[in-house]
Amino acid sequence: MSRDLNIKVHHLTRVEGHGNIVVNMKNGVLEKAHLSIVEPPRFFEAMLKGRSFHEAAIITSRICGICSLGHQMTSLVTTEDALGLEISEQTRLLRKLLVHGATFQSNVLHAYFLAAPDFLNVGSVFPLIATHKDVVLRALRMKRLANDIGDIVSGRAVHPITPVPGGFTSIPEKGELLEIKRRLLEEALPDGLETVETMKALAGAIPQFERETEYISLKHGDEYALYEGDIFSSDTGLVSVRNYLDVTNEFVVKHSTSKHTRYNRSSYFVGALARWNNNQAQLSEEAHAAAEAMGLKPDCHNPFMNTIAQVVEIVHCILDSVRIIDKLIANGLKNEKPNQTPTRYGRGVGSNEVPRGILFHDYTYDNKGNIVAANCIIPTGQNLANIDDDMMKLVPEIVDKSKAEITSNLEMLVRAYDPCISCSVHMLNVEFIE
Amino acid sequence: MSTLTVIGIGNRLRGDDAIGPMVIDALRERHDTELKLVDAGNDALGILEYFDNQGSIMIVDACRMNKAPGTVLEFNASKAAMVLDMDPLSLHGLGLAEALQMAESLQMLPSELKIIGIEPDSIQFSGNLSPPVQRALIIATEKVQDELHRVAERIMT
Repeated sequence: MSRDLNIKVHHLTRVEGHGNIVVNMKNGVLEKAHLSIVEPPRFFEAMLKGRSFHEAAIITSRICGICSLGHQMTSLVTTEDALGLEISEQTRLLRKLLVHGATFQSNVLHAYFLAAPDFLNVGSVFPLIATHKDVVLRALRMKRLANDIGDIVSGRAVHPITPVPGGFTSIPEKGELLEIKRRLLEEALPDGLETVETMKALAGAIPQFERETEYISLKHGDEYALYEGDIFSSDTGLVSVRNYLDVTNEFVVKHSTSKHTRYNRSSYFVGALARWNNNQAQLSEEAHAAAEAMGLKPDCHNPFMNTIAQVVEIVHCILDSVRIIDKLIANGLKNEKPNQTPTRYGRGVGSNEVPRGILFHDYTYDNKGNIVAANCIIPTGQNLANIDDDMMKLVPEIVDKSKAEITSNLEMLVRAYDPCISCSVHMLNVEFIE
Repeated sequence: MSTLTVIGIGNRLRGDDAIGPMVIDALRERHDTELKLVDAGNDALGILEYFDNQGSIMIVDACRMNKAPGTVLEFNASKAAMVLDMDPLSLHGLGLAEALQMAESLQMLPSELKIIGIEPDSIQFSGNLSPPVQRALIIATEKVQDELHRVAERIMT
């Protein structure tokens, strides 16, 4: 079909980041299909310059309200790598508990508030409140428990304060952890399994679209990697986190002020679906049962299934949080002082899996413990090239649909990645006046 | 017992968007034990967690109101006052207007809910408030104190 198609959708968000979808087709030939990210210059990295190692995690946790915990964790491990600070087993477990809470919170919100309205074709979450009030309340209940885990373990949910380089300034009491465990088993687990049922019922509405790409995530020898691991590419295998620049290879594109990334192909995928594809063998039986119920198979190449992989992770995070709490209590909770005596100064690289994918921070410290250089590559920046490649394949496949339907399909695709628009801008060379 | 919950919303790295959390900081320094103070960051949806408590709620947030930068306005939460961005591409598009709309649909809105809006000058990435919003910090903080006194008087009588 020789069709002309011009789509331009502007989305303005509260934080003045824009995500515009642009498609141009002439005489049936697709010339352009991309997500353009336009945002004013971002000064985050400049803000870190000159800051002490005590401040870095506090500042980075404020980059983004939704991705707060992820940035904070990655900042801490980066600082610890740079300054040679070892952390205890207890600190590692408490951090994993925090990461699980943040992951299932974000995945819950994405599945219910962004994806479900798409699957039901109702435009937004608001019509669902009238028709599916109990489902919306379930989502809010799960979000709340996740927030409470953050509150109890880190002192404050949105901008956590007790996790510091080298450990925790204070730790939860045994009773508090047992109460979380009780709520995880009595509230969150039934809610999580209901979520699987809800998504199973909606799974038929997920577009059938396949595009095999490179999947990149962390990988860990003993567990489904979220808090730690090495970089893993589904194409070429393991890479040390320290060599992340070999993987990200940022490059400039005309249509976006945010840089794109590529490794072995023109683009790669990060996020729940990449973690699933790379690490599903390490998930529990319950998580696998959830995946099977919702039709998620190993080596899934449908980006719209990212949401389903997130729901699998909800089940995983709830059950694994219980396991972590049991281990913390069996080990005996100890009031440890954070290890804040640097054994070296220099460059450190840290990485965690945050809900939207693999996140990298890279700091260089001077010998007073102040940052002289900082780099940060967020998941959304890494997914942008992959979204564009998806669009280039998807548009010709759905070109017989109406313009409104095509637009809606493309928006749905972008939402499947849940891009962090407020911080997805990784600026080019900006001259900072200090 | 808390009789007034004050929630500041905003990103401290986004220039004048920091005003909500900074009003919370200013109130913390005054040590009013009757106040429950919440720095919600940019997690607007998080405010719903405070709506099931009895008592008054005040939300302090930078608001585009087409007024001069630094203008402080107190208003009641009603749909008419807020523009919904009904079609966000990302969860990051969910803001205060959407959170309040959701609360209303779920019949969770507190009977006493006031918003103190401060017109920003700039919400570009910056660690500083603009001069007019810096001045508004004092005015907005006083408005919360006034409200606290009103709530206290009502309880006494």
